[in-house]
Amino acid sequence: MSWEAELEELRYRQQLAYKMGGEERVARQHAAGRLTVRERIDRLLDKNSFHEIGAISGFATYDESNAIKTFTPANCVFGRGLIDARQVVVAGDDFTIRGGSADASIWAKFKMAENMAYEFRMPLVRMVEGSGGGGSVRTIETTGRSNLPGGVGTTSGLDLCARNLGQIPVVSIATGPVAGLAAARFCASHFAIMIKEISSVFVAGPPVVEHLGQKLTKEELGGHKIHTKSGVADYSVDNEDEAFVAVRRFLSYLPSSVWELPPRTECHDDPARADEFLISAVPKDSRKAYKIRQIIESVVDSGSFFEIAKSYGPSIVTGFARLNGWPVAIMAGDPYHSAGVWTANSAQKITRFVDLAETFHLPVVHLVDCPGFEIGLDAEKSGVMRQAVRAIAAINQTTVPWCSVLLRNVFGVGGGAHQPAGRLSYRYAWPSGRWGSLPLEGGVEAAYSAELAAAENREEALAKITSKLSAMRSPFRTAEAFWIEEIIDPRDTRRLLCEFADTAAPLRTAGKTSFTLRP
Amino acid sequence: MAELNVESEITGAVWKITTEIGARAEKGDVLMILESMKMEIPVEATQAGTVVRILVSEGETVSEGQPLVRLSD
Repeated sequence: MSWEAELEELRYRQQLAYKMGGEERVARQHAAGRLTVRERIDRLLDKNSFHEIGAISGFATYDESNAIKTFTPANCVFGRGLIDARQVVVAGDDFTIRGGSADASIWAKFKMAENMAYEFRMPLVRMVEGSGGGGSVRTIETTGRSNLPGGVGTTSGLDLCARNLGQIPVVSIATGPVAGLAAARFCASHFAIMIKEISSVFVAGPPVVEHLGQKLTKEELGGHKIHTKSGVADYSVDNEDEAFVAVRRFLSYLPSSVWELPPRTECHDDPARADEFLISAVPKDSRKAYKIRQIIESVVDSGSFFEIAKSYGPSIVTGFARLNGWPVAIMAGDPYHSAGVWTANSAQKITRFVDLAETFHLPVVHLVDCPGFEIGLDAEKSGVMRQAVRAIAAINQTTVPWCSVLLRNVFGVGGGAHQPAGRLSYRYAWPSGRWGSLPLEGGVEAAYSAELAAAENREEALAKITSKLSAMRSPFRTAEAFWIEEIIDPRDTRRLLCEFADTAAPLRTAGKTSFTLRP
Repeated sequence: MAELNVESEITGAVWKITTEIGARAEKGDVLMILESMKMEIPVEATQAGTVVRILVSEGETVSEGQPLVRLSD
């Protein structure tokens, strides 16, 4: 006697589950240019590493002899697997079954995936496709009552999603159209990826917003072009395979949980490499912009810069990189966008990024070019001041090692937040550094209004005052007073940043932050 | 012949057009300079080609994503 017959049934039931929504639905998924959830998991994970949990869960009907007549698998597939030999939890929606809708799912599977990643301290990858939530209004007919969101014994699971953000890296990919609660789960992550022409993300899709008189395609309403700028998505790629590469790359800079430290990789780049162009990278004419990404790529380990949220709040550049093999968080002003001023969006971007660095113990390198906050009526209406002071609070609340390099402008309240207040950080200035409470342009008129009003020739007087102040504004005078501790040759920046990363490495401390990052 | 529009990455004003119709541009060549927040922002050719149309004029306000120059390879 053995249990072979039962194991035979187990294998039979597994085979049923692997069919997903059936041949026709799978063909339709492929015809739409999309992989099935099982193909995605196989491509995302290290080869043959997927250990599925709950494969045979679903909805069966039986004949009189108690044999399975029909079987619809639950439309969430999840389990553990390896990414670059590190364990992760992966959970994906199966769009071939009821379009990924929650009324064909077993909610406990979503919850177990979230809980497993939390409890066992493994990164979580969500592949979101469908609507999620309480299902369609048709559910009222099938259940005979209307579902109360958050009613007795139910939660949307977003509490788990938010809790996870303070414990483990969470990445989500929108692998198709994503609406409602599914869109919320997509967004409730550290790194949300959209795929061009495949992903769309919205609160409510085109048929619903048509009632507002807005006739839009999925792409027009919530495609990657909308959401890389809205900040709902952090990254966009051309196809699904690129999305899986992006997941690997993002996770490679981070520890598996806050209880570990970011892993060092072998560095094949000379820490003392000094690129000659850096000496002239910042133009002497302060009206001329320069390409900050070239500077970033020159000072970090070759090929290690990974930019995040490029199109959202673009006056600030954020991303991960490596210095002598150590993962760090890089933040920099971009003079190509609004001269690098902090807008409401770029301030929100800073807050989220700095909190991410703090959560996962990444030292921060800030390449500073901050002419201040955005000014003008539109800026005031955007609430830039609240978002900016929030960003400054986030910077000041960090405890991770911090190094600022002053490339050019350091002006105003935003400039003052170029490093955390109240503790010692590394700081260097390039000779191109220029700073003050206000830029001279515009500031002179305000501060010398009486003198200018009394002058016989106003223009002449203005030029005279401006030239006098300009001469006194040399960074060497500031260094003489020891308000800036070091002015460096820009070509030494990489060497000094690598030294910073070496110094910072033993100071990084595993554990939970004093606050939990919010989505 | 494939044509391609070089678009503005920012909202600003056209300060100086540095190319002309019929000119040959290599990838990275500056076609015009925009001004935004008192900064000069060069607009570069995103691929090599011949300038077949200039779609804006000096002084004009342009928005993000607006086509500025059409190149033909």
